[in-house]
Parts: sequence; structure tokens; C-alpha cells
Amino acid sequence: MKAHLILNGRPLQYECEPTEMLLGVLQREGCTSARATCGLGVCGACTVLVDGVPVSGCLTLAAQAAGREVTTSEGVPGSDPVMQAFAAARAFQCGWCTPGFLLTVRALLDENPDPDDAEIAEALGGNLCRCGCYVKIADAVRAASRELRGAA
Amino acid sequence: MSAAGIDPRLTGAQRYAAHAERPGMWHAAFVRSPHAHARVDRVDASAVPADCVALLPGDVEDLRRYGCQARDQRVLADVARHVGDVVAAVAAPTPAAAAAAARAIEVDYTELPAVFDAVEAVAPGAPLLHPTAAESAHEAVSIGVRPLPGTNVCHRFRIRHGDVATGFADADVVVQREFRTPSAAHAPMEPHATLAEWDGGRLTLTTGTQTPFNLRTDIAVAFGMAEEDVRVIAPPMGGSFGAKTFVRLEALVAALARKAGRPVKATLERTEEFVTLNRHPATIRVRLGARRDGTLVAKELDCWVDTGAYADCGPGVATKMGYAGVGPYRIPHVRVDALAIYTNLPPNGAFRGYGAMQSVWASERTMDALAEALDTSPLELRRKNLLRDGDAFATGEVMHDVHFEECLDAAARAVGYAENPRGAGLCVLLKGMQTPSRAAISVERTPIGYVVRSASCEMGQGVRESIRLMAAEQLGCEPGQVEVPDPDTDTSPYDTRTTSSRSTHMMGRALAEAVRDLRANGGERGYGEVVNEGGLDPDTGQGVASTHWHQGAAAARLSVDEETGRVAVEHVHGVAYAGRVVDRAGAELQNEGSMIMGLGTALFEAIDFASGQVTNANFSDYNVPSVGDLPTRFTHELIERDGAEPHGLGETVLPPVPAAIGNALHSLGIDVHELPMTPERVLEAIDRR
Repeated sequence: MKAHLILNGRPLQYECEPTEMLLGVLQREGCTSARATCGLGVCGACTVLVDGVPVSGCLTLAAQAAGREVTTSEGVPGSDPVMQAFAAARAFQCGWCTPGFLLTVRALLDENPDPDDAEIAEALGGNLCRCGCYVKIADAVRAASRELRGAA
Repeated sequence: MSAAGIDPRLTGAQRYAAHAERPGMWHAAFVRSPHAHARVDRVDASAVPADCVALLPGDVEDLRRYGCQARDQRVLADVARHVGDVVAAVAAPTPAAAAAAARAIEVDYTELPAVFDAVEAVAPGAPLLHPTAAESAHEAVSIGVRPLPGTNVCHRFRIRHGDVATGFADADVVVQREFRTPSAAHAPMEPHATLAEWDGGRLTLTTGTQTPFNLRTDIAVAFGMAEEDVRVIAPPMGGSFGAKTFVRLEALVAALARKAGRPVKATLERTEEFVTLNRHPATIRVRLGARRDGTLVAKELDCWVDTGAYADCGPGVATKMGYAGVGPYRIPHVRVDALAIYTNLPPNGAFRGYGAMQSVWASERTMDALAEALDTSPLELRRKNLLRDGDAFATGEVMHDVHFEECLDAAARAVGYAENPRGAGLCVLLKGMQTPSRAAISVERTPIGYVVRSASCEMGQGVRESIRLMAAEQLGCEPGQVEVPDPDTDTSPYDTRTTSSRSTHMMGRALAEAVRDLRANGGERGYGEVVNEGGLDPDTGQGVASTHWHQGAAAARLSVDEETGRVAVEHVHGVAYAGRVVDRAGAELQNEGSMIMGLGTALFEAIDFASGQVTNANFSDYNVPSVGDLPTRFTHELIERDGAEPHGLGETVLPPVPAAIGNALHSLGIDVHELPMTPERVLEAIDRR
């Protein structure tokens, strides 16, 4: 089947099988930041935003994304406050899970600009980091939140 | 760094082995035994489509047995020794076509008796898994392997220090306990991925690996090639923790590429990860004797270490488990017997801590049992017996640069142990660094700075950044002017391997030599190498276990819901002796990551087996810690001293976390001997109280 969506701000015409997942389409388009990892949608490493909402690319049918705005970390500029906060906090080690966390955090702060620790923990519960960066990731979320609220 | 100055791991631009591509590349899929122990009678690939390539037993007849410490592995198993053992493979234009072609291969097996427990595997009548593996023991590098022919023991490590009979006769109090630890999954987020390409007689492997030179050696052995004809390129890994060591997929993918006449790539599915390489289960018995005043006089440690279907580095793990289990204490009489034993579980290998977690769990829990028997404080009992500078360890080596007491005191202080020991627990440990080992590094001037070539492999631990910072400091330039390319056995100087928390320490020393050489010879290029001699006599355990010891401690404070058995860890504090910290954020991340892995080990991580079949081979049923698993207070510290060398700390504060939690439960009368400390086990221990 053929469909179209907006990928990181530009129109994309794509072809896919009806049973194919969005992750496969994105990888064919060169978005290697969303990564096949657990195959079940529990680890968050394939997280992308669909109309600003974090979803697991491995569980979202490519057809479900038709007509929507899809954001991957390739579409996030280096100047983005969340990206800057992660860099300043050194909130990464191997980096495999990091794009998924970045997008989840952007969605969190869009919806809740001043999350407390419990709200941060709940929002990030669907992203696993085996390297164990959770402390610095939470630091980065708080720093980004302060930056975004300060700039507002 | 990207042009914008942001690390590609943050922007998502980082490429891993899983993203490697070559023109004309095909994809691999594997046919795996559903039986834990079975002879492969017939492999029928007649239904495989004509446009796919099948790798069958006849295709690998010319390939030889290989293995880093025992040559007991074949490229395709002719006898499947674990569920998931690869008996055939296919390459096809797409991953889906390869998976379909693999399903089209039919295999006939004759099942054989199987054994799934290390203690049972050395009992009379246990099936013999590797009748001839003992023949290759003399070829193992960097460790003296001692198999027991005619048994499933691929290595036995011994320490004989003093005379334990005399020692125990002198003891006023003796305690004996038995402990068990399960298998666990490294669960790196990036699965194993390997791309193989032949060019005439030359093989290039692009693969996620911590051990490029060891891999080159083992592949050369398997294919009967000169090492110079094998090239290993090691891109950064999306995590490893020991999983991506020695030969995993590389021989299979190389054989497929050879038959297909084109590059072939394999990327494992998550379920396959659970049958590739896991952590050694262990049964450990500890007997510890002391005088009435708390002076330790004798210790016996027996370890049954389940190395699974193939030895891999099980001999090394059993050795390290054996000497780490003595603990950082002055004990005049010590006997250790650690057996690495074959079973029909998937192979077990290097896992962050390398055997230390298992024996530290057993040893430090026994210290608290002894403290209880002596009616003394667990903190004071440890303080009284800790090794100091100039003391001899059970291996005979004299300890120097000793900081155990500082580490222990810092951990105890952090949780207010002395004021309130109830609900709190301690652990102090020593862990060795791979000895002997060799590290070399080269430095060349470039138009904008320098390129530093090192075979240290990046897996998130931050070694590339540490090398960059040390080079900048020594060369007098900015870190951004130092390029550190991916390891490549064609161009990187030799390094033993990126394991054992050795790389910052060893490469820092090699770098100093290289910079000295560069300055003495015109400033264009320099080469430096450091060699640590040592090792232990496997018959006596005497010698040099480690030229430099990793030292640390942990403390935990917790409460227990006695209705549900749920443990609520309120505070865990880890302490690592760092010597000199090179990259502070990186060191903090290593402490935090180690402790989080320790929490998982302590409370919920275990691979479950039924007749050798993994029953929780996915991230829904096998849980790794998420952000919600962190205790409210999660703290750590790095102890430094002026003028000290960098001390490895990539693993140090993982092993003490389970023991500290177990000892905190013990302080409440809840005595758990088996990991993980699940609610079921806690409730059962409460019933026994």
C-alpha cells in the first residue's frame, strides 16, 4: 500500500505492507536513531513521536502513521534545550537508548513543563537504559524543564 | 563529535555494528537445536529456495575447533549441547527471506541425556559433554587451564595457603553456609551484530566486540588462516557488559560469507540473545573460622561454576570467583576449590564483575553469619581483619595501595550503619584486574592535532573519552584536537582486550610511554607499550592475581513488607577507590550503572530454564531495572588520592550491592542464600526465622 506522512517536517511518500510496522519504514528512510531492540514495545528504544505523542515504532503499524507528523531524533536540532540538557548532564553512555529518551522527554515537557520526580519516573518508565543512566537522565529532565520555563 | 559539537550518541547519528552495510550484502539466519543435548543426524536443506545459500555440516568440515580457553566449539554443532546451539545457517537477500529459508531446513536429531546443574554435572553417572576437550588445555593463552579428563570439569582452580585443618582447629567459632546464584542476561540494548566480507583469502569482520585481537586469533585457528589475513574492525557497541567477547557470531557469518561469495551480516533477535552468552550460575559453599576475639583464622571456599555448553572464558571466571571469594582479609589458612563445569545450558562467559559478584555474595554474607555467631558488629568484624599495606593475600602477593578500610567506612557512614545497624547491611570487596596483560598505543601528529590508535573498544564505558582526555593532557592540546578511531586490528597496536576495567589504567600508562617516545623522536609519532607480568599457579593459587586491585564497598538500608515479602530499598551507597579520576562524569556513570545492574541482580534478575529451554527470553518476562527501580536515596562516591594512578572502576560497585542488601535483610533475621531476593524467597526466609 502507498501512503504519506510528514517526517521531521518534510512530506514523505512511502510504500509498505499492510502488516508492516512504522519502524521498518523509518529505517528505510535512513532514520537509524529508532532501533529494533526488544521486538515487543517494552523498551522504548524505537520511540518516535506521532503527532507529538511517543509511540513504539515496532508496535505502530506504518499505516497508522498515514497523514500524521512523525518526529525522530534526526529531526531534533542540536540547539534543542532537551538535547543541550542531556549533553550538559552527560546523560548517556552507549547511546543506543538515548534518542528514545530524548523524544519521550520532549513529549513530557510539552505536556507537563514542571514535572516532579514521581512524574518524571512515571513518564520515563517505558524507556530502558541497560547502561544505567537514569540518574543523569533525570538531572537532564530537571535542567531542561528549568531552561524551558525560564525562557518562557 | 558531530559538526555541531554534540556527541552523535545524543543526536542519534551514531552507527553501531547493527547498522553496518556493504554493497551486495546478504542477511543471515540461524537454525538452532530445540534440544539441550542431541546428535545431529541429518540436515535437509532441500526446501531452501534456490536464491538463498544454506550453510550445512559439509560446508564446515575443513574448519577447526576453537575457543579462547578450551578449544571445544565448532562453527556448526555436530552435537547440539544446548537449546539454541546453531546446527545450520542461511544467507538470503533480506532478513525476512533468511528467516523463512531457515524455517525450511529440517534437522533430524537423536536426543542424548542432558544435565542442567553444575553440582549434578560432576556427580557419578552424569553425561559427559566434551570427552576430548581436555586435549587443548595447553593451548589456552594467558591462563593455565586444568581440566579433569573424563569429567565435565573444564578447569579447576585451587588456592592452598597455609593449612586449613590447623586453622580450623585453632578456631573458637566456625560457620558454614551454602549460596546459589542464577544465570542472568547481559541484555545489552544493541543485540549482537556481525558483518563478514572476504577479499581473496583475506577476511574482514565488522563486529561488536570487546576483544578484537582475541577474536582474530580464534577465527584464524578456526579457518586455518594466518592471523594477518583476518581483520577485525570494532565499531562502538550499544552496550555489552561482557556479552560481546571472543567468538560469538563471527565464525558462522564468515563461513556463510565464504559460501555465498558475498558479504553477509547477522543481527540477532532478542530471543536469540538469551541463548548466546549468559552469566555463570554458581553454587558456593563457605566455611569460615575465627577466634573468640574475631580474628579470622581459616576459610574454605568451594565453587561449582556452571559454564554451560562451551567453556568460553569459564576457566578465567572460575579462577577470579575463587580468589575474589577470599575477600579483602588477612586469613592465614585458606583453601579454595573452584570448578568450571560443563552443563547443557547455553554458554556462560564474561559478565560485568567476572565471577566476583557470585563469590562476594557468598563470602560477605558469611561474614555477617560469623558476626552473628560471635555476637559482634559486622562492621567491627570486617575492620579487624581487613588487609593493610604490606599484608600478604591468600595468593602470597603483598598488597600495596590498599584502601579497603576507607571504602568500608565511607559506605557505613553513608547509611548511618554504626548508629543504627538494624535494617542496614555492608559489603567490602576486592576484585582483580586481568593479569598478565599487555597494552600498546600509538600517537601520530596530524595537521590539526593528533590521532591516537588504541584497540580499546567503546561500549558506553567512555574509554574513548578517557583516552582523548589523557592524550590531551599529556600532549598539551585540546581534547577536540585528538582523534581516537575505532579499533582495527590492521592499524591498532595490540591490546589484550577491553575487559576487567583495565583500559583507562593500562592505556594511560602506555600513552605516557608513547608520548615520551614521540617527544624523543622528532614529535611526529610515538609508540608505547606496557606489559604486566603475573598470573596464578592454578594448582596452588600462588603468584600475582592482579598487579593492581579494584577496591570498593556498598551499604544498603531497607525495609520489608512482611506480608508480601517486598523489599523496599531506601538507600544504597556505593564506594569505589578511583585513585585518580580522568573523566568525572564518565566515572560517575560507571558507578551508577554498576549499582543499578547490582540492584537488578539482587532483587529480580534471573534467566529461567525448563529442561534447558529459556522460558523468559524477552524483556517483558526478564526484567532489567527501569527508572522506577531506583531507591529514593541512590548515592555513591569516588575516593581519590593525590598522585595516584587511575584505578579501574567499571565493575567495582556491582558485586557489593546484592551482598549489602542480603546483609541488611539478615540484620532483620531474614536470611536469604539464593539470588535474586524475590518476595517469594523473602517470605520463605521469614517463615524460617
